[in-house]
Amino acid sequence: MNRIVEMKAKNRDQSLSDSRDLDGSYDQLTDSIEDDFELSTVCHRPEGLEKLQEQTKFTKKELQVLYRGFKNECPSGVVNEDTFKIIYSQFFPQGDSSTYAHFLFEAFDTNKNGSVSFEDFVIGLSIILRGTINDRLNWAFNLYDLNKDGCITKEEMLDIMKSIYDMMGKYTYPCMQEDAPREHVENFFQKMDRNNDGVVTIDEFIESCQKDENIMQSMQLFDNVI
Amino acid sequence: MAAGVAAWLPFARAAAIGWMPVASAPMPPPPHDKRRSQEGFIILNVSGTKFQTWRNTLERYPDTLLGSTERDFFYHEETNEYFFDRDPDIFRHILNFYRTGKLHYPRHECISAYDEELAFFGIIPEIIGDCCYEEYKDRRRENTERIQDDEDNENGKEMTPPDMTMRQSMWRAFENPHTSTMALVFYYVTGFFIAVSVMANVVETVPCGTSFNRVKDVSCGERYALAFFCLDTACVMIFTVEYLLRLIAAPSRYKFVKSVMSIIDVVAIMPYYIGLVMTDNEDVSGAFVTLRVFRVFRIFKFSRHSAGLRILGYTLKSCASELGFLLFSLTMAIIIFATVMFYAEKGSNSSKFTSIPAAFWYTIVTMTTLGYGDMVPKTIVGKIFGSICSLSGVLVIALPVPVIVSNFSRIYHQSQRAEKRRAQKKTRLSRIRAAKSGGANAYLQYKRNGLLADAEEEASKEAGKALVCKVNPTFETQHHHLLHCLEKTTNHEFVDEQTYETSCMEVSMVKPSTSRSSSVSSSPHGLTSCCSRRNKRKSFNVPNSNMTSGRRGSVQELSTIQIRERPLTNSRSSLNAKFQETMPLNSEQPPYITAAIISMPTPPVTTPEGGDFQSNIVRVSAL
Repeated sequence: MNRIVEMKAKNRDQSLSDSRDLDGSYDQLTDSIEDDFELSTVCHRPEGLEKLQEQTKFTKKELQVLYRGFKNECPSGVVNEDTFKIIYSQFFPQGDSSTYAHFLFEAFDTNKNGSVSFEDFVIGLSIILRGTINDRLNWAFNLYDLNKDGCITKEEMLDIMKSIYDMMGKYTYPCMQEDAPREHVENFFQKMDRNNDGVVTIDEFIESCQKDENIMQSMQLFDNVI
Repeated sequence: MAAGVAAWLPFARAAAIGWMPVASAPMPPPPHDKRRSQEGFIILNVSGTKFQTWRNTLERYPDTLLGSTERDFFYHEETNEYFFDRDPDIFRHILNFYRTGKLHYPRHECISAYDEELAFFGIIPEIIGDCCYEEYKDRRRENTERIQDDEDNENGKEMTPPDMTMRQSMWRAFENPHTSTMALVFYYVTGFFIAVSVMANVVETVPCGTSFNRVKDVSCGERYALAFFCLDTACVMIFTVEYLLRLIAAPSRYKFVKSVMSIIDVVAIMPYYIGLVMTDNEDVSGAFVTLRVFRVFRIFKFSRHSAGLRILGYTLKSCASELGFLLFSLTMAIIIFATVMFYAEKGSNSSKFTSIPAAFWYTIVTMTTLGYGDMVPKTIVGKIFGSICSLSGVLVIALPVPVIVSNFSRIYHQSQRAEKRRAQKKTRLSRIRAAKSGGANAYLQYKRNGLLADAEEEASKEAGKALVCKVNPTFETQHHHLLHCLEKTTNHEFVDEQTYETSCMEVSMVKPSTSRSSSVSSSPHGLTSCCSRRNKRKSFNVPNSNMTSGRRGSVQELSTIQIRERPLTNSRSSLNAKFQETMPLNSEQPPYITAAIISMPTPPVTTPEGGDFQSNIVRVSAL
C-alpha cells in the first residue's frame, strides 16, 4: 500500500514540476492532501488488556469503557493535538480552551512524539483518578512546569493562569479584568514560594499544598470520577 | 454534545486537576451519583428484528425516546426486552445515530415514513449529517409542494384573503397578473403599449417618401410629427401612471426605487419629459436628439412580461467573471497583435495602419473572423502576422465561448437551487444553534432557577424538542459540576450575554450612588440583585480590615458567592437527592455561611448597608 502511494506521488510531482518551473509557485493543496493521507494510514493498537491492567490501577471494565470511548472519537488509535483540542473544547462552549488543552496534551504526551496513544491516556488518567494525593500533586506540578525543568517560574504560571481564564470566555460575572490572571499568579506565588526566590520547586509545591486544606479536599474530588 | 464526547467526560473532569492548586476558592462538593449507570446490553425488538446495544450508547441522547425513561413504556417483562412496533429498516438508521452521532437519510426510503419515525423516536431532523441533509430537504420540499398542489387543485384558486388592504392587493395584482382579470387586463395593455411605443420609435426613422419641396427623403417622424408626438404622449402617460401606481403599492418604496425595473421605467420615460421642459433651442436640440436613444430602453420593460429575459439578465450578471476573463484575454491579444501589425506595416507607404489604436480595429475585425477588408496589410511581414492573428483569433474566441455556454446552463440550474439551499441553511443552522445553546444555557438555567422542575421546563422549552428531558441528568450533573469547579478556580462566574451587559453597565453607574432601593427590591433574577450589591460593597472602604486589597476582594467575593450560591448547591444536591434529602444537606452547608460571616466582621457595623446584609442572610436561610 505504501509503495503504491509513493509511486503515485512521484508521478504527480513530475507533472507538477513543469508548472512549478513556470512561475515558481506550487500547489499547496496537493501537498496537504498527501500529508493527510499519510496520517490516516497510521493505525495504533494498544497493548493487551492485562498489561494495561498491570500498569494502571483501573479495573478491566473501566479500561474497556475508556477504550471504547477513546476509539470512537479517534479510530486511528492515537490522538493528535488538534483532535484533542476539539474534544476538550466541546466541554467549554463559552470560552477558548485551546491553550489549556495544549498544556494538557503536553502533560499527557510523555514520550513527546506529538500524539497521545491510549496507553499514555490511560496512564495519565490512572495517576489523576487512582493515584495517591502525592501522585496527583506531582502530576499537577508536571502540568504547570511547561519546560519540565523542575521548577515553576512566574511566566509559566502566568501562561497557565491565562489559559484557565480563557476558558471562562467573555461573558463572566464579574467582568474579566485584564490583570486578573496576574493577580492570581501573585497570590499563588505568595502562598507557594517559601524561600521567595521567584520559582516554585516541587518540594515547595507539595509542602504548601499539603498545608492547604482546600487543596487537599479538592484533590479528593477525583476519587469517584469513574 | 457529540456522542463520543460524552465518553470523554471522565477525562475532562480529570483534567480539572490543573485548576485545583491554583483555585482561590474551595471546590463545590462532587455530585452524588446515586444511580451508577449499569453496564449492559439492551435488547430492542423492532417488529421482530432484534437489535442489541450498550445501555450507555442509548443514554448519550437523554432527550430522545430511547435515551430517556420513556422507553420503559415499551418494556416487555416476559422477554426482558424493549418492543417497538415500527419499521426495522428505518430503525437501523436511528440506532446508528446513537452509535456514531450522525444521522443519515436513506435515499430509497419514503420521506414521510422517515419523518414519522424520527418524530416517534424524538429526534429532530436538523441533525441529519451534511452528507444527506440536502437530499432530505429536497425530498421533503418536493413532498410538501406536491401535497400543497393537490390541495390547491381541490380548493380551486380562490385564495383571496379578505382582509388585504387596497395597497397590498394592488401590489399583488402587479406582481402576479394571473390573480385577477383586472390585473390581467392591465398587464396586456401595458405590454401592448410597450410594443406600440417601440414600433413607433423604429418607424419614425424610416424614410417616407419625398415631400414636394424637398430633394431628399424625409423620415416618417418628420412627416407625421404630430401623430407620432401624440402616440408618444399616450404611451408615456400610460407608463407614468403605471410607475406611479407601482410606487404607491410597493411594500418597501425604497427597495422598489432601487430595483432595476424601476430604473428602466424611469429611464424610459425621462426623455419625453426632458424634451417637454427643454425649449426649441438649436444648441440643446442636438443633445435632445441623443436623449431619444434612451427611449429604446422601453424594450427592457418587456422583462416584466417575460421570465426568460429576466433569467438571461441574471445569468449574465452571474457570469460576469467569465465574461470579464474573455474580455481581458481578448484585450491582451488585441494589443499584442495591433502593436505587431503597426510595426510590421510601418515600412509600407500609404498604409492604413497609422497608429496602434488604428490597428486595433484591424485586429478586432480579423480575430473575430469578420474581415471587412477596409484595412489590409501590404508588406509580407504584415501578411504573415495577419494570418497568425486570424488563426489565433479563432482559438481565442472559440475556446472560452463553450465554457461560457456551459457556465450559463450550469448557473441557470444552480441559481434555481442556490436560492433554496441558502434559505434552508439559515433556518437549519439557527435551529441547531438553538439546540446547542440549550446545552450551554442549561448550566445557566440551573444556576438561575435552582429547581429541578423549572430547569426541566426551561430546557425543554428552549430546545424546542418534542419530548421533555426526563430525570437522567448524570452526565449533565457531572458536566455542571465541572463548570462549577472552573468558576471556583477563577472566582468568576459564567453568565449569559444580557447579564454581562447589565452588570457592566451597573459597574459604571452604581459606583457613586448608594441607593438601596435597587438591592432591596425583590428581583426574580437573584443574580442581578446580588450584582448590584457587590458593586456597592466594592465601592466602600473597609477601614478596619488589615488584609491586602487583593485578598479583600477575593474574600468579599468569596462571602458573596457563598451566600448567593447557597440556593444553588441546595438545588444541585436536591437534584440528586430527588427532594428527599434537602434537610440534612442544610446542615452540611453552615461551614460556608459561617466562614462568610466571620470574614466580614466590619461591614455590618460601618456600612449603612449592614442591615441589608443581615436581611440578605435572613432571606437566604428562609429558603
